Amino acid sequence: MLEGLNRREEIRDAMDAKTKASVLHDVIRRFGTGGNDITPEDWQRFVEAQNDGYRTGPEIGERVPDFSLTDQNGKSWALDDLMGPSGLLLVFSRSADW
Amino acid sequence: MEKLKTHGVHAAAITYDSRQVLHDFGEAYKIEYPLLSDVGSKVIRAFGIFNTNVPEDHKMMYGMPWPGDYLIGKDGTVRDKLFLRDYQLRPSASQIVLSHFSDAQGNTVNVTTDHLNAAITLSTDRCFPGQEIAVSLAINLKPGWHIYGKPLPARYHAAELTFEGPLVGELKLEFPAPRPMMLKGLGETLPVYEGEVRAVGTLGIKWSPPAPVPFLEAFGKWIKPGAYAVEGQLHFQPCTDSVCEPPQAVKFELPMRLEAYVPPAPKKTE
Repeated sequence: MLEGLNRREEIRDAMDAKTKASVLHDVIRRFGTGGNDITPEDWQRFVEAQNDGYRTGPEIGERVPDFSLTDQNGKSWALDDLMGPSGLLLVFSRSADW
Repeated sequence: MEKLKTHGVHAAAITYDSRQVLHDFGEAYKIEYPLLSDVGSKVIRAFGIFNTNVPEDHKMMYGMPWPGDYLIGKDGTVRDKLFLRDYQLRPSASQIVLSHFSDAQGNTVNVTTDHLNAAITLSTDRCFPGQEIAVSLAINLKPGWHIYGKPLPARYHAAELTFEGPLVGELKLEFPAPRPMMLKGLGETLPVYEGEVRAVGTLGIKWSPPAPVPFLEAFGKWIKPGAYAVEGQLHFQPCTDSVCEPPQAVKFELPMRLEAYVPPAPKKTE
C-alpha cells in the first residue's frame, strides 16, 4: 500500500561531496545566528544535500539486522524484546537534540 | 501510537543521541515507547541508512540516518517502509496506520450527494511545516451510477481531488485503474469507476522557517503556527447507462493545526 508513497525520482548523487558539505555547514551556521537570512531556496538545497543519493535500507520482505540498544531509561532492548504480538514500528529519526 | 497498539504493533525509535538527551526528550514530550540510543551509529550503519552526505567534521549532523520508518513483522522481515523527503522530529505512526490498516479514524470528512458517498481522510489533524502527510479517498457510488477515470475525451470529466489553503503544497494521489465500459446511451467505451473506489497518496504541507523571518513574513512566505483549514473539492461527473449529468464539485473542509518546530528538550542547568 505504501509503495506509491515510497516511489521517488531515481536515486542519484547529484551534488559533489564538497558542495554538500558546504551547504550543510552553511545553513546550520546561519541558524546559529538567528536564521533570518535563510530563504526557501536555501532550505531546499539543505534538504537536497541531505537526501542526495539516499538509501532506505532493507527492502520489503527482507530481514532486518539484529541489534541490541539501550533506551532513555537505561533498559537494554533486543529486536525480539521490542516486538509486539503483530510486529514493530521502528522509527529512525535524525536527532532529538536539534 | 495508541491506534498502533490496538493492532498489536509496538513502537520504538532510534537516534544517534546519548541516553541523557533521549531521557530529557522523552520526559519533555511524555514519550512512553523506547527511545534507543545508537551512539556511534552502529545500528544505523547496519541498516544501511547512514547518511553519507554529512561530512565528518559536521559536529551536529554527522552520524544521522536518512530518516524513515519500518513496519517489521514478527518474523523480523520488513512488511512496509516509509522514507519521505523532509522529516522533522514528528509523530509518523498515524501515516502507517492510515495507509496500512485502512483505519478511517484519522482526520476524516464525509460528503454525500445523490450519486455517491465519499470519505476524505488525512493521516493527522496536526502537522509541521514541510511535512508530507497521508491522504486517502474512499468513494462509494450508489447503484446504477458511475464516474469517470483517466484517460478521457475532453468533453467528459474524470474524478479528481483537489486541495487548497495556506498550508497546501503538492498533492500526489493515485487512483486505481478504471474499468473500460461500453455505454449504450453514448455509443462509446469509456474508463469508469463503479461501486467502491479507493485512492491513497500524500499531501505536502508548505515549508516555512521554524521562526518568524521578517523578510519572508513581508512576502507572505512565513506561515504562522496555529489553527487552519485544508479546503478541498471532489470533482466528478456522475452518469448512468442512459443519463449523464454535468460535472460537479463538492466542497469540504478539514481542520489542520500547524505546529511550531519541535525543539529538543529544554536544557537543564546542573
